[in-house]
Amino acid sequence: MITIFIGVTFLLGFYMAWTIGANDVANSMADAVGSDSCTIKQAVIAAGICEFAGAVLVGAHVTDTIRKGIVDPSYITSIPGMTQSHAAAIIVIGMVSALLAAAIWLHVATAFGMPVSTTHSIVGGVTGFGIIAAGWAAVNWSKIGQIVASWFISPLLGGILSFIIFKIISGLILQHNIPTRRAVRYAPLLFFFTAFVVISAIIFKGMKHLIREESLKWLNGSMAILIASGVGILTTVWSRIFLKKRLKKYFRSSLSEQLEKVERVFAPMVFITSCTVAFAHGANDVANAVGPLAAVIDILRNGNVQMKVSVPPWVLMIGGIGIVTGLAMYGYKVMTTVGKKITVITPSRGLAADIAGMTVVLLCSRLKLPVSTTHTLVGAIIGVAFARGVGAVNKRVTRNIFSSWLVTVPVAALLSIIIFLIGRLFLLGSIIDLIKSGSGG
Amino acid sequence: MTIINKIFGASPFGPLLEHAKKVHECIKLIPELMDALINEDHERVHCLQDCVSKLEYEADQIKHDIRENLPRRYFLPVSREDLDNYLHMQDHIADAVEDFAVILLIRKTRIHHDLTDEFLAFAKHIVSVADKLMVAAKEMQNLAETSFGGAEARKVLDLIQGLGQEEWKADRMQRKLSMHIYEKEKELDPVTILFYEKIIISLSQIANAADNTGEVLRMMIVKGR
Repeated sequence: MITIFIGVTFLLGFYMAWTIGANDVANSMADAVGSDSCTIKQAVIAAGICEFAGAVLVGAHVTDTIRKGIVDPSYITSIPGMTQSHAAAIIVIGMVSALLAAAIWLHVATAFGMPVSTTHSIVGGVTGFGIIAAGWAAVNWSKIGQIVASWFISPLLGGILSFIIFKIISGLILQHNIPTRRAVRYAPLLFFFTAFVVISAIIFKGMKHLIREESLKWLNGSMAILIASGVGILTTVWSRIFLKKRLKKYFRSSLSEQLEKVERVFAPMVFITSCTVAFAHGANDVANAVGPLAAVIDILRNGNVQMKVSVPPWVLMIGGIGIVTGLAMYGYKVMTTVGKKITVITPSRGLAADIAGMTVVLLCSRLKLPVSTTHTLVGAIIGVAFARGVGAVNKRVTRNIFSSWLVTVPVAALLSIIIFLIGRLFLLGSIIDLIKSGSGG
Repeated sequence: MTIINKIFGASPFGPLLEHAKKVHECIKLIPELMDALINEDHERVHCLQDCVSKLEYEADQIKHDIRENLPRRYFLPVSREDLDNYLHMQDHIADAVEDFAVILLIRKTRIHHDLTDEFLAFAKHIVSVADKLMVAAKEMQNLAETSFGGAEARKVLDLIQGLGQEEWKADRMQRKLSMHIYEKEKELDPVTILFYEKIIISLSQIANAADNTGEVLRMMIVKGR
């Protein structure tokens, strides 16, 4: 019986992950595709691989916040007259409602072509359930406050960072009268920074899960920095040699040809950074699908509400596979419908936006703040636009994207409340029984 | 990728370059037109005027395309007003060339044999003024790539500076030519003198249009957003 219920929740988690993949189709690869650094097909495939990797290797961090950071389960257990199993059942129903509500909203939004934030949806869903189940006090409003603040701060930070990075690229390399020469001198330093952030991100975040193992204990903070720097230096040296050989013959070419060659040099870097953004996105967003699922599994297995439980890797894998499936199916559609390819930005712009976006998202994941990867990326793109780097940016779409969370959070909360009330009405009894039987009273 | 489709608008700077190229094609026909008039080859004048008209029409198409694809809701690296003005001014050059061609077409004006050299020299100088602007305008794509700053922007500003000086020289040539015409007024009929004036004024309009375009381009670079 428990297995059936877990199975249903599993399917829900998978459905949610699928809608996440579908709604966010390769947005993380936007800078690579937009700057013509890879084809749409390559983008979808790369996104699939990297998002899955991010979900499985890193997902556990953010999952914690969704699970118990927003709603404090002890408020529910401490309601007078509430038995452990009753409280546990409430939480189970609540988490499932949140999941279902968020997934439905996402599905609707995707059908209407609206890029809404998956993170905002699930946070809205969980908050809605919390308010109804145990009153306003049960919701950790300061945490919600932090989360909402991060929704403002992450695009802002992304924008500021990308502005700075692009100004540097633009000022040091592109605006010189011999850009290729400057590229040979300064691009390797840029690549050092990129490699350093990418590798430390992968180690700190990706391996954290595995670092718990004794065999990898040596892979701690200072060791990680050493490795990242090492890879960075290797990248710098190699790229210096490569660039010199490749660009030397263009030192005397026309300005437009030089600029074109320099941009081409940045293209592979943009692809790599976009892949890392996809990795960060997978890490951040899998929690949205899997968080509630993990909570439910915890409770059904153990019968009471525990504070600290680890997320089993197979749960993360469900999330990962779900995201990839949604991505692939909708990605296929996008690949076949997008006909004319308009190169809207050049690789240098994409690189600045990607590095900024990836750094901010990874930082926020580290701080256990569930931020919207897409919003951060959009913020980063705007930052480059402010540095006079982009030909034309659609202000209205930008405004719509950012204000969409004003709609998303209430709608998801409302849906979640409705589903919760229905669930509690019909299923409370059976779930209490399930838990009692599962934990032996 | 749903983001790129929606967030990024098509950059206007590529089409602006295309527009500049069309205008340049018009300008290139000025010496030929003047030459044809002097040699009284009126069929060639007609033919060239047709060319100019067609090119001016194509430039207009590009201008309309740019305007259509650049709604106010787009955030640009330069001030929206400056870009609109720049396009307007650059298009005005092509209009001025067309006006010049039409004046040569509507009346088979004979250029006095003592004045032919000066007329030709004046026309060629106007072309060099406009050419100077065209060299700057054709850097539009590079300017966008280098975010309207740095070495490229400085180079274009220098070109525009030189443009101002050449336009001033054109004014002087115009005055001298006019004076020479009036020295010969006894030998010329009034309508011919009228048309000499029309020709000279329309040529100087071309130079003025080029100068104004350069001014707006300078503002686009310097003012920022």
